[in-house]
Amino acid sequence: MAQQPLPTSAQPTDIYGGDEVSALVLDPGYCNTRAGFAGEDVPKSILPSFYGHVTSDPPRDLFGDECIIPRSDFEVRNYMNKDSVVEDWDVAAKMWEFMLVKRLQPERQTPPSKNKLNDDVKEQDGEGDVAMEEVEAMEKALEEYPLLMTEAPWNSPKAREKAIELSMESWGTPAFWLSRTPVLSSFAAGKATALVIDVGGANTSVTAIHDGMVLKRSIQRSPAGGLWLSSQIRNMWETSEPKVDLIPTFMVENKTPVDALAPAQARLREFPYKIHDSYRAFEEERLLTEFKESVVEVWRGPGRYGAAGNEEYIKSQPGRVFEMPDGYNQMWREQRFKVAEGMWDENAGYPVPESERLTKAQTIPELIRSALNAIDVDLRGNLLANVVVTGSTSLINGFNDRLNNELTAMYPGLKIKIHAAGLSSERRFGAWIGGSILASLGTFHQMWISKKEYEENGVGIVEKRCK
Amino acid sequence: MASGGKWREEQVLVICPGSRTTMAQLGCGELSPPHHRIPTRMFRDEEDSNLWRPYYTYKRVTTIDGVENEEWVEDVDEDKGAVWPIEGGRIVQMDAFLAFLDHVHGLLTTTYHNTPIMLMASPQWTRPDCETIARYIFEKTKTPALCLIHSGIATQYGLKWPNMTVIDIGYEKVDVTAIHDGRVINHMDLGRPQPGRHISGGEVFTQKLQQLLTDKGFNHDMAEQLKKSGICEVLPYAPSQKNLVVLPVETADAARSAAAQGKAAESAAAESTTADGSVQDVPRIEEPTRTEDVAMEDNDGLDTNVDDDGVLDVATIVTSGQTKEFLAKKEKEKEKGRPGRKPKADKEAEAAAAARPVRQPNSKKVRNTFSYEEIIMEEVPKEVPAPIAEPEPTPMQGVESNSAAEGVPAAAPAVAPTESAAEPAAVPATEGLQSEKPAEPTSDAAAVGSEAAVDGANSSADSKPPAPEAAGTDNEPVIKSEVKSEEAKVNGNGDATTLATAPESKPTEAVNGNNGDKPDAAAADSNEPPELRPRKIRREIEVGLERFLFADRDEIDRIVTTIYRTIQGVEDMYMRPACWDNLVFVGNGSRLRGLKDNILQTLQARHIISPSTATMFTSELPSNVATPAGTGAQTPVGNFAGAPHQLSTSSVNPLLQAATTASTFGIPGRDTIQVATGSTPMVGSEAAGPASGHHFHSQTPTSIKTIALPTYLSEWSKNGFEEAMFLGAQVASRIAFCLHSNMDAQAIEAQKSMSLSRVDYNEHGPKGIRTHSMLS
Repeated sequence: MAQQPLPTSAQPTDIYGGDEVSALVLDPGYCNTRAGFAGEDVPKSILPSFYGHVTSDPPRDLFGDECIIPRSDFEVRNYMNKDSVVEDWDVAAKMWEFMLVKRLQPERQTPPSKNKLNDDVKEQDGEGDVAMEEVEAMEKALEEYPLLMTEAPWNSPKAREKAIELSMESWGTPAFWLSRTPVLSSFAAGKATALVIDVGGANTSVTAIHDGMVLKRSIQRSPAGGLWLSSQIRNMWETSEPKVDLIPTFMVENKTPVDALAPAQARLREFPYKIHDSYRAFEEERLLTEFKESVVEVWRGPGRYGAAGNEEYIKSQPGRVFEMPDGYNQMWREQRFKVAEGMWDENAGYPVPESERLTKAQTIPELIRSALNAIDVDLRGNLLANVVVTGSTSLINGFNDRLNNELTAMYPGLKIKIHAAGLSSERRFGAWIGGSILASLGTFHQMWISKKEYEENGVGIVEKRCK
Repeated sequence: MASGGKWREEQVLVICPGSRTTMAQLGCGELSPPHHRIPTRMFRDEEDSNLWRPYYTYKRVTTIDGVENEEWVEDVDEDKGAVWPIEGGRIVQMDAFLAFLDHVHGLLTTTYHNTPIMLMASPQWTRPDCETIARYIFEKTKTPALCLIHSGIATQYGLKWPNMTVIDIGYEKVDVTAIHDGRVINHMDLGRPQPGRHISGGEVFTQKLQQLLTDKGFNHDMAEQLKKSGICEVLPYAPSQKNLVVLPVETADAARSAAAQGKAAESAAAESTTADGSVQDVPRIEEPTRTEDVAMEDNDGLDTNVDDDGVLDVATIVTSGQTKEFLAKKEKEKEKGRPGRKPKADKEAEAAAAARPVRQPNSKKVRNTFSYEEIIMEEVPKEVPAPIAEPEPTPMQGVESNSAAEGVPAAAPAVAPTESAAEPAAVPATEGLQSEKPAEPTSDAAAVGSEAAVDGANSSADSKPPAPEAAGTDNEPVIKSEVKSEEAKVNGNGDATTLATAPESKPTEAVNGNNGDKPDAAAADSNEPPELRPRKIRREIEVGLERFLFADRDEIDRIVTTIYRTIQGVEDMYMRPACWDNLVFVGNGSRLRGLKDNILQTLQARHIISPSTATMFTSELPSNVATPAGTGAQTPVGNFAGAPHQLSTSSVNPLLQAATTASTFGIPGRDTIQVATGSTPMVGSEAAGPASGHHFHSQTPTSIKTIALPTYLSEWSKNGFEEAMFLGAQVASRIAFCLHSNMDAQAIEAQKSMSLSRVDYNEHGPKGIRTHSMLS
């Protein structure tokens, strides 16, 4: 109100200088990779970490959901490994560049040396110079943007060095920071001290954060995440009577409704080429995700699923019907609890091959117990009063109630408070959101590893600074 | 004073840029279809590569009285060397795009200081793009306020449903945007430029069509026109067919009816010639055929707009610069086509209807014809008495199209009798893919054209001079098209039936460029060597099953999959049903006949979850419905404020509700069982067991529907809601810029954040657009 609009003829007195730092945040995970601008509440660009690889000549990589469709000579790969650590750095660089540059940055103009307008100039230059120019043009891809990257708490020093090298050398970022996902998740929940339980796609981890620092000895992890749950569901379908065929959506052309338990009547699509197993597995995972969303539930208690009387009680309760893409549908009652029970109780759940079997130490309650046992006893109370739950597998119905029951049973007398974001997106992108908050804080600018520091110290700086 | 609300509706400049065509208009008061459609392209200045020109410009040397004059000429229709700043929705040439914005602004208005701009942004625009645009607009122009609006949101403002899934099928891209409660909740797109671009959208179909018809000499333009013609359509999804489509087959019946049609046409033609052969009668005679056409449309019931309404060749219209005239013509034409026509014509129509067998809809015909129009540069030999036969040199608008039409009726009677001699040959028309038809088009066309022109000049010596005709402009289009279709029937055999309309060169009042000059020049130096002139040629081309086969299953599957993944990818499950129940197809790519239906049918056949009601009732309902525990944090929040929805009845068991409403799809409130999933867990509150809580965990989609389009905007109903985003941009402009009164503090605040005003810009800089816009 106070400010009058400028007279129509008045131009702004100072031309805007664009001196503000606008950082990018990159959060790679096993299932998805998330990238976006700091300060925003959701990542702009979310791509599966799975990518398409065309095996025919010339081999090439395709990124993004829109490319992962049935095609010939096509397989699906992942540049991350199941430890949520980068496995294939060449692809990682391509993928990240695709997301950070292609998706988030404007189209780069053809450099003057290539647009044919300066041909005469070019001839005067030596050829070497031209090559240099092009390299420089490539390097400038992110020269205006500091980059904050996330990493799993157990990331290797080598991988960390690689990350800063890529950022500084290939993209020319002016500043860089590497932060561990649990720290960021606790920031996203507005806490500097927290016990972070991150139930993700490939892993579940429990980490104690104190004053924004990871307590290294507390870090616990196990494979009890989304993938493990998928294998439970597969197993359940395998052993179910009648056996449930796992036909992913892409194979179905159309379907006719059938009664429950009746054989499916669907017309399957025919492909004139062979569908690679990796593609099929990727698509199956989509279906499993849907099943997890709408059917699977964690037994909330009282007691464990296996406790006397519980199973009978559940059987008397309504189940949920799930319709497969081919139209087959079935009611799931106690099974839908049983599949998730293995995360809590190593003796429950469906039998799996010995290699995939969770040990007692890998169940979620035991992870928490070991994490807390590894730290100072004085800190425990504070941590249990600040339990942060994140990761998309934690969205399974009933998860928080069960967790609460387990913790209460394990630590009677201590105040337990669970913080889990209400919005699904906040749970799925917890670490990214924390990164977004952190990187947009004014004070954080003093923490960055600047290009100058990097040039003086080399890649080793990241170990020294990002603790 | 508030920063918003100080402008009047007629001051707002609304611009919706697309990869090919940009819709623009000054003023948002009328909520009309766009006044201007401008090709989104710029040309580099030949001399200074940093400058941009809106039109193709070339140097021409003319010799007048032996003196060579060099002049720069602008050709408004030429695409050569054009830079298209937007590709697949993404801005690939920012400087060209900014120059283009300037050009559009200059075309529509001359003032900056009181013209706020509403600019629609594609979802592909990056944040830096938006900031660059904001910066340019505020620093280089005196624009007082800028509102950037997401194209999906714009569509939503146009159609006014709170939850929608907008499927925007464009030129080379498809955007699918899921919107819940006015917020973009998920988005996916196809056709993004990336290494190895795989385009999607309207162009895919054109290319496929061209590819199928290469053997017949189809080029891209022909394929494009064929696609836009009424005979090209995507047939309904046929779940059980091998190719998922039922193609028409050649049957004895079909052949017979084709023959009969030929006969009918013949008699009609004969009538027309015998009536008395004078030009004045043509309209009367042609009217019946018109009726016949209309009747046929009614018969087939499949289709609503055979009279080309839905398939306006926008590009041609725009490029020809005659947008206004064309629309006016179209309007009149439509009025003509209304039931209230002359009783005489009706009677004749009835007579004709009695005589003629039932016409088949396009989808049942193995073959059908469309008329292809092209503009060729033709050498006009000087012996043709140009000023007489082609009385076009006065480059005033209207007269030309007139004269074109003028030549035609004259030619028609002259040609018809000769052609009807060949009539018996019409019967075999149904057989074979006569390759000679599309062959050697131009030469033939030219020949016939000039012949026709000469004929016209000779035989209709008594025909009225062009000037009086000008008064009756509105009649002409009808006559013209009639004559054409008549002829098509007459020589069903179609040895390159071409009909040269006199050069409908494009000069209009807007074309201050060369085209206006050219005829002048020609007229002036009539003893110059042959002059190149644009000439509009129209010919009938028969096409077989290719016109159905082009509907590429792969492309449709891609779109279907993207829609499925977008909605199923919405994180909060309770939002999905609302998105599934409110699909809307926009973008001019979706004007392709049958495409929307096919996509919808495919989605329904493939993805719908059919809770077999038996299952729902026998096993889903618990015998002892557990009382939901009072979990305060998880009480459903019914936040549908929108009209079509009722608030949820949260105390009802969701299963019960699902079961009872499943049989009657679309009961409002069905999708309102919703809850903020997993909010803060309540300690010890969940003892009630698995039945507690109202989490929405049902599988989706249990129904898939498109939204009901508004009916109260008649102009838009005619125009088609494929361009609803433009309507929405106007609505949003009103709200953002023109709402003055009756606003509480909250509304004022909300209005302020819709657009970036100069005051805000001065305070925040370009990044202000992040918070002051309608981008998400």
